[in-house]
Amino acid sequence: MSTTYDAAVDASSSPDDDEVAPPRRWRPLTLAAAVVAAVLLLTVAFGAGWFAQSRNHPGEGSVEAGFARDMSSHHAQAVEMSMLALNKSTQPDLRLLAGEIVQAQQAQIGMMQTWLRTWGLEPTGHERPMAWMKDGASLLQNGLMPGMASPADMTALRDATGPAFDRLYLRLMQQHHLGGIHMVEGLLAENHDPDVTWLAEAMAKGQRSELEFIQQILTKIGA
Amino acid sequence: MSISTPAGDSSRQTAPPAAKKAVAGAGRPPAARGGARSGGGSGGSGGSGNRPGGKGRPGGGGPRKPIKPVKVSQGRSWGPIALFTAVGVIAAAIIGYGVYAVTVGPQTWQEKAENISGISDFRTSDPKLYDTRSHKSGTIQYAQMPPVAGDHNVSWQNCMGNVYDAQIANENAVHSLEHGAVWVTYRPDLPKDQVDALAGKVEGQEFTMMSPFPGLDKAISLQAWGYQLKVDNASDSRIDEFIRALRVNASQEPGVGCSGGVTATGTTPRELQQQPQGQ
Repeated sequence: MSTTYDAAVDASSSPDDDEVAPPRRWRPLTLAAAVVAAVLLLTVAFGAGWFAQSRNHPGEGSVEAGFARDMSSHHAQAVEMSMLALNKSTQPDLRLLAGEIVQAQQAQIGMMQTWLRTWGLEPTGHERPMAWMKDGASLLQNGLMPGMASPADMTALRDATGPAFDRLYLRLMQQHHLGGIHMVEGLLAENHDPDVTWLAEAMAKGQRSELEFIQQILTKIGA
Repeated sequence: MSISTPAGDSSRQTAPPAAKKAVAGAGRPPAARGGARSGGGSGGSGGSGNRPGGKGRPGGGGPRKPIKPVKVSQGRSWGPIALFTAVGVIAAAIIGYGVYAVTVGPQTWQEKAENISGISDFRTSDPKLYDTRSHKSGTIQYAQMPPVAGDHNVSWQNCMGNVYDAQIANENAVHSLEHGAVWVTYRPDLPKDQVDALAGKVEGQEFTMMSPFPGLDKAISLQAWGYQLKVDNASDSRIDEFIRALRVNASQEPGVGCSGGVTATGTTPRELQQQPQGQ
């Protein structure tokens, strides 16, 4: 080996340059490679962060996040009305229904809020209610989501007593569930998250059977 | 990995006092390293030149002496370059993620709140107040007006987007703040169009409520548990920022709602059973 080197050195001066030159030629090349590698890594790290935030989970402006936020508020009103029913009504079927609604919907609020935390999103958004749903804005009534009781409805419900309360509660709850199911359908048309689909379908099923129950109670109390 | 191993080799090889032979050995492996590097990185021009050096390594021996100095300089230059490259690449990765986290990554709600200019953050300025939350009956004295935290009545004010047209009891309102509500208060002389604008941000919006507050030093004051922001006009964009950052987030009891509270007005603290409601 050494002989080939010697021969090369003897043959001309250029191989000699080659032997001294590599460090000088390699340094800028290595630096360039390092810079390229650094830029690549920076891009990849940046991209990975963005990817992890926005792709693995539904993002800030997603249908899923909008649904989770809006349905939490929608459910909260059903809980409020049903708690009033538990405090005020003496009709056994209605009290059973109200208890079921309070338990199911408060638990579902917890699940939806947990999604938002898991997705790294705030419980509250920047958008108007229903902005996540196709033609959602057109479904708002005085700024309220489909089926929501107005402040005047809520005051009337608080003030009502006896059979009048029972009728008003059942009518308001009927509207509320119909609106809620409509929102679920809007979500299912665009959602791709299996967990969200699972819960939304359960909501629709549960509320449809409660709608039947409401109708039975209304018939029973002669409303 | 591939970088730390050659560094280990060279340090082991420079250690023996048999200087010249050791140096000769040290000179070669880096050359072989150079071949591996250039093959992986930027063209194979160095590969063929280095390979003979690599083959010569097991044979060892004296005949190589004349070339030693050249090889040594070549070897020395690769160690630091590899090291600096490794450090640089790792640093770049860390900086890259840092840049992501700062520029794009989500801010916490506390950071969002702190970034609102003019906000009073009692969470950091008065941690004792922030952690005071016992149930007490009767009138309670608060250091802030309107109050932002502290002991409170056992009943909370209903905060399901309720717009109250008269003053409400501080003792009930503070309990709503504990549940995560944003409480919007305004001086009663605020022009009606501004009152309506504020009501539009509150009505039907769960975890918010609104009421007039006589004696306010500014036209409008917003409260969340441990936070307060006072502004002069309902069109101030910081109002929305405050609500967005702190509604629900400021809750001291996550999961507890805003319904089932007192809906009556008046400054006397009310327990629910005293409420003139239903039966």
